[in-house]
Amino acid sequence: MEDPSSPTTITLRPFRTTDVDDFISWVGDDRVTRWIRWSTITSKEEVLTFIKEVCIPHPWRRSICVDDRSIGFISIFPGSGDDRCKADIGYGLAVKYWGQGITTRAVKMALSQVFKDFPGIIRLQAFADVENKASQRVLEKAGFLKEGHLRKYTYIKGDLKDLFVYSFLSTDTIPHPLDP
Amino acid sequence: MEEIKIQSDKPSEEDFSNINLRLLDLSDVDDFLEWAMDPKVCQFCSWDTFTSKEQAMAYIADFIVPHPWFRAICLGDRAIGTISVLQNPGIGDSCRGEVGYVLGSKYWGKGIATRAVKMVAADIFVEWPHLERLEALVDVDNKGSQRVLEKAGFVREGVLRKYFLQKGRARDMVIFSLLSTDSQVNYFMYS
Repeated sequence: MEDPSSPTTITLRPFRTTDVDDFISWVGDDRVTRWIRWSTITSKEEVLTFIKEVCIPHPWRRSICVDDRSIGFISIFPGSGDDRCKADIGYGLAVKYWGQGITTRAVKMALSQVFKDFPGIIRLQAFADVENKASQRVLEKAGFLKEGHLRKYTYIKGDLKDLFVYSFLSTDTIPHPLDP
Repeated sequence: MEEIKIQSDKPSEEDFSNINLRLLDLSDVDDFLEWAMDPKVCQFCSWDTFTSKEQAMAYIADFIVPHPWFRAICLGDRAIGTISVLQNPGIGDSCRGEVGYVLGSKYWGKGIATRAVKMVAADIFVEWPHLERLEALVDVDNKGSQRVLEKAGFVREGVLRKYFLQKGRARDMVIFSLLSTDSQVNYFMYS
């Protein structure tokens, strides 16, 4: 039963070049790009190029949409070679839609799709900055298992980061999309 | 490349604290085969036992010699195992290196691998100043190797489920790390 106080229906779909104006409204916001490798982009031309050359050809990148308008993204990156049983998940959402469980729902929707789209994937993994409590909550509510604290694991925008690593296996149970 | 030597007062073949690390080359092939043909040794490795001298020589020439950081673990001049460090190539990930090692099974249980890991840890952060984190991934069932890292001062960070495809099977791996700032490294450098 949908929570009546949060009636927003969200959909996932591939990006289109016509998403430029909506895309720039969230990718131009430092608060959205703060924890991820993406740069903040404020030029329409750069956003259009990014959509055409990166988002559309991407193995699995979806726009998180409300009324078919883009409010964020969710991506799955499958590994190759020795890493072919694994994939990484990443996401970002426009600030005005934070705090409504939207990203959690988008992740659950992706979980229900990704193991069909990539049958060789056994492990989906996610990394959240130890200070990024909101992203940690998304992963926990979406059914990921927190596996550990990776110290000084990677540089993001010039800062050396500690990250929590989470995983969801093809054999794990996907929480119902409308579960809290 | 420099040799790292730890000398005791009475060096001898039976003195298992007298190990040194040096480059491995084709002349080590017979010693290499001693562990590379042993199924106990490669049980948790990504490779299958070697079956011929030719195969071993090709592996030494094509993989070991050009490797950015690969050493034989030696007693005297005899190679009894290997240890290597691989720097992560990803964007932003070059702060990480992964250490891996193998040791002939008749030398297990004598603290040799622990000593070799400590020697590498003391050296690699100096040789690669950009390195912040040395990590290791060990099969959950490989208790011996987990003890090596714990004794060498690595921190056990967690278990990564179905992380590594080992001979076609997805295995749970324990992840360990040692940071350039961890006290074990500094102690060993000055001891």
